[in-house]
Amino acid sequence: MGLDVQTWVQVSAFAGGGIAMGFGAIGAAIGEGLTAAQANAAISRSPKMAGDIFKGMLVGQAIAESASIFALVIAMILLFTKFSGTSYVTVAVVMAAGLSMGLGAIGSGVGSGFPAGAACIGMSRQPAMSGRLMTNMLIGSAVCQTPAIFALVTSFILLFTDFTARPVSPTWAAILGAGFASGFGAIGSGLGGGLVAETSCYGVSRQPLMVTPVTNVMLLGQAVTQTTAIYGLLVSFILMFKTFPGSGALAPASALLAAGLCMGIGAIGPGVGEGFTARSAVDAIARNGEATADLTRTMLVGQAVSESTGIYSLVIALVLIFVV
Amino acid sequence: MEELGRVYQLIVPMFGRDMTFNLDVIVMTWLVIAVLLLFGYLASRRRSRLPGPLQAVGELFVSQLYGLTEDALDEEMVKTYGPLICALFMFLLLSNWFGIIPHLGEPTKDLNTPLSLGIMGFFIAHYAGIKAKGLKAYLKQYFEPMFFMMPLNVIGELAKVVSISFRLFGNIMGGSIIILVVSYLTYSVILPPFLNAFFGLFVGTIQAFVFTMLTVVYISVQVK
Repeated sequence: MGLDVQTWVQVSAFAGGGIAMGFGAIGAAIGEGLTAAQANAAISRSPKMAGDIFKGMLVGQAIAESASIFALVIAMILLFTKFSGTSYVTVAVVMAAGLSMGLGAIGSGVGSGFPAGAACIGMSRQPAMSGRLMTNMLIGSAVCQTPAIFALVTSFILLFTDFTARPVSPTWAAILGAGFASGFGAIGSGLGGGLVAETSCYGVSRQPLMVTPVTNVMLLGQAVTQTTAIYGLLVSFILMFKTFPGSGALAPASALLAAGLCMGIGAIGPGVGEGFTARSAVDAIARNGEATADLTRTMLVGQAVSESTGIYSLVIALVLIFVV
Repeated sequence: MEELGRVYQLIVPMFGRDMTFNLDVIVMTWLVIAVLLLFGYLASRRRSRLPGPLQAVGELFVSQLYGLTEDALDEEMVKTYGPLICALFMFLLLSNWFGIIPHLGEPTKDLNTPLSLGIMGFFIAHYAGIKAKGLKAYLKQYFEPMFFMMPLNVIGELAKVVSISFRLFGNIMGGSIIILVVSYLTYSVILPPFLNAFFGLFVGTIQAFVFTMLTVVYISVQVK
């Protein structure tokens, strides 16, 4: 049995599909479990709202599941598409597509479970606000999905762009690095964005008069929380679209792989940390609305500082790509 | 499927260099501007105390965005920056919605549009900062908390431009790629209208709002 390029591509596509769906199943399952747990608590608190809470739980879980559905789509494409095996680059491409989507679905899946659970609790606490809570939850969890969508975009670009004309040697590492950068990079931001949306749902139910500022600052906080996922996307775009000169040496290739890993893993911490910052800012605004302007400014400055480690990762990744 | 990542470019050699124009983006941007101008003309044509539908929509935009600007900046600055913020939001909103009409594309799908708006916001914010605090206090903030933090502070400021423009670009371009690929996979049956509604209308509105709010907040961080 000879192992030609075609066989390797097939092997890698199957492995990539498994990775995509395997990792992709983690986040959404945890998130949906959290939602259901909170819904149970909410129904025990006010059984009369059981119908609304049940509806809210199902809608929230459906959104949390979308990250897993993205992973399912990528896994299906990897399993059922016949990839042409003309270059060993394709082996890396199909693997990276699976890695990017699988890892990228973890954070958003868990994250969007938080606001859905909080909305259920909120409905039991403040039944009159059910409608606004639902809207707030939908906006919050949709924004939470953005990092997973970035990972999906990277996977789609990898799968539907022709990389076979590139030299095999550094390109395989660049492609794998791109997958790691957007995959790992999405974890922290997805989780952090969920934390922000969760408190904003609590805030809406605690202080219905503050709905508008709470939703606005939630959006702002989530957007800034996603910054490191955007750096991950940026690095993976550079790795995908810059043509690297072919070389047989291992050093340039490992520098590109390291750039992807550096940006991806480095983005996890700031994403979660900025989520904590924005979460307490939103909470404080719901408690003391008069301080909204000061709280927003403090939140942004604090997030900028906690983001600095993400910027260090970005700098090192760019140095690895362009200088080393 | 070949449409993925294809850009129609006009390349003009000038002074020994090639000037590249992305024709689609230029045409779409002018279309957006034309629609906005038409809206502005029609909304303010017959002004009355009992507003017509268009005037009501226009007033809604202006009052809401002026309110948001006032929350972040002082009352005096609203007169200076309010019109800018209004124009920015309306331009972005219409740009992001443009893709749901067949044969039209979002100008924000191309990195040039968000990046130029981000750079514009960056310069306006820093100009406002220098004007409000004076050059000395403005420069001093880069040397805090320690003087050797200066390079990182500068990189942090530049990273803001990258993040604000890539956030918009990534969302809008990502949405359009997803719509393209899913339409191709499902032979344009059932799913694409819902995807258009989600990525075009919903995500487009949120991202236009986020970009506008961040621009306001960047100005307010520099000013205070």
